[in-house]
Amino acid sequence: MSGGENQELIINGKRLDGRMPDELRPIKIEANVLHNADGSAYIEWGNNKIIAGVYGPKEALPKHISDPERAIIKCRYQMAPFSSLEEHGRSGPNRRSIEISKVTKEVFENVVMLDHFPGSEIDIFVEVLQGDGGTRTAGITAAAVALATSGIPMRDLPFAVSAGKVGDTIILDLNKIEDNSSDADMPVAVSPRTNTVLLLQMDGELTRQDINTAFSMVQKAGTYISKLQREAIKAPYEKIKDKYNK
Amino acid sequence: MQRIVVPGEKISDGQLRLENTITENNATYSTVVAIYDEEKKTLLPLEGLWYPRYGDTVVGVIEEDKLNTYVVNLNAPYKGLLLTKFTEIEITTGDVVEATVKELDKTQTAMLMRPRKLSGGKLLSVKPSKVPRIIGSGNTMLKELTEGTGCSIMVGNNGIIWLKGKNVDLATKAILKIEEEAHTSGLTERIKEMLKS
Repeated sequence: MSGGENQELIINGKRLDGRMPDELRPIKIEANVLHNADGSAYIEWGNNKIIAGVYGPKEALPKHISDPERAIIKCRYQMAPFSSLEEHGRSGPNRRSIEISKVTKEVFENVVMLDHFPGSEIDIFVEVLQGDGGTRTAGITAAAVALATSGIPMRDLPFAVSAGKVGDTIILDLNKIEDNSSDADMPVAVSPRTNTVLLLQMDGELTRQDINTAFSMVQKAGTYISKLQREAIKAPYEKIKDKYNK
Repeated sequence: MQRIVVPGEKISDGQLRLENTITENNATYSTVVAIYDEEKKTLLPLEGLWYPRYGDTVVGVIEEDKLNTYVVNLNAPYKGLLLTKFTEIEITTGDVVEATVKELDKTQTAMLMRPRKLSGGKLLSVKPSKVPRIIGSGNTMLKELTEGTGCSIMVGNNGIIWLKGKNVDLATKAILKIEEEAHTSGLTERIKEMLKS
């Protein structure tokens, strides 16, 4: 969080990769990419490349973790050893991946209808193949699509995007460089139907007005991301349907 | 007018009493990926899980032989239980049985009744949400399959299908085609042509 580099992050109102402050990176989502998983999705969000897979509901093992009233969600977020410029060479969970697994799990505990499957577990796997800032938000967006294609009932299709601050400007969807040297970084996950915030983390400092501006940016971006998610889920069905309508 | 809906998508104003939906603030929302028919007001899930219900026919494999019960693997988050004292046939671990759901409890088990042993044959697992299409309205599709191939087919509501007899491979291919194209119209005709050739 060094303030000295801030002037370089925004030049003539444009960001380092040529985006406007409220512009998203290009996003591409594909559903049902894995054959063996119950539901899966692949997302390309700028330079981020992430695969999400969902298994279950199945019997919760070991037995003592199961809840007789509702299903439990297990989530594993992991960066591949080759995913990033920084070192991710060692396999196994580290501080950062445990934290992101936890927040991802809590996002989906609030939208999946867990009371339908007492005593069972749902596994969500988020694997980052290539990371460039904002992998947790991209991972949540992909995992939502994967859960929908697995047939597990959900109250809503959540999306996630990050907002931040460089100097006096509020920016949307930070990449790796902006993430490391901006004044603030705030990943947000939202349930678009009810406009409920499911995840809110913040690094750095934002004023009350900053947060209001950031949230209006997030909501605007969310309508676009939700649209992409819905199209990705429908695409395999539309494809087969079109084959016979011609 | 049919349209594909995704979880959280509004299907109608007002409260509709449909499966796989939730109602909030006087509007109905879908909870699964489904096809909503606005004229008939029906929601047909494209992806979904099987919830055991009284009277459902299931096909499963005997997993465990306990003192007074057999545990049946139904390829679902629920397990099936067969009480030995109501089981008149002789079955052992590894046998394939067809049975009817008798009662359910709050835990993850479904009591089964009237077991029938299915010896030999081949098992095929499909998405439970496509089973109604494989059976067809009034068994039309299943009739087409059995008559077209000469193969005996037993479809369980849990998504396990048992096949035995002639042309098992052709029947498998046809069933997988139905599973993939379940949401398109004119499927029965296409299957008919496929089985003729």
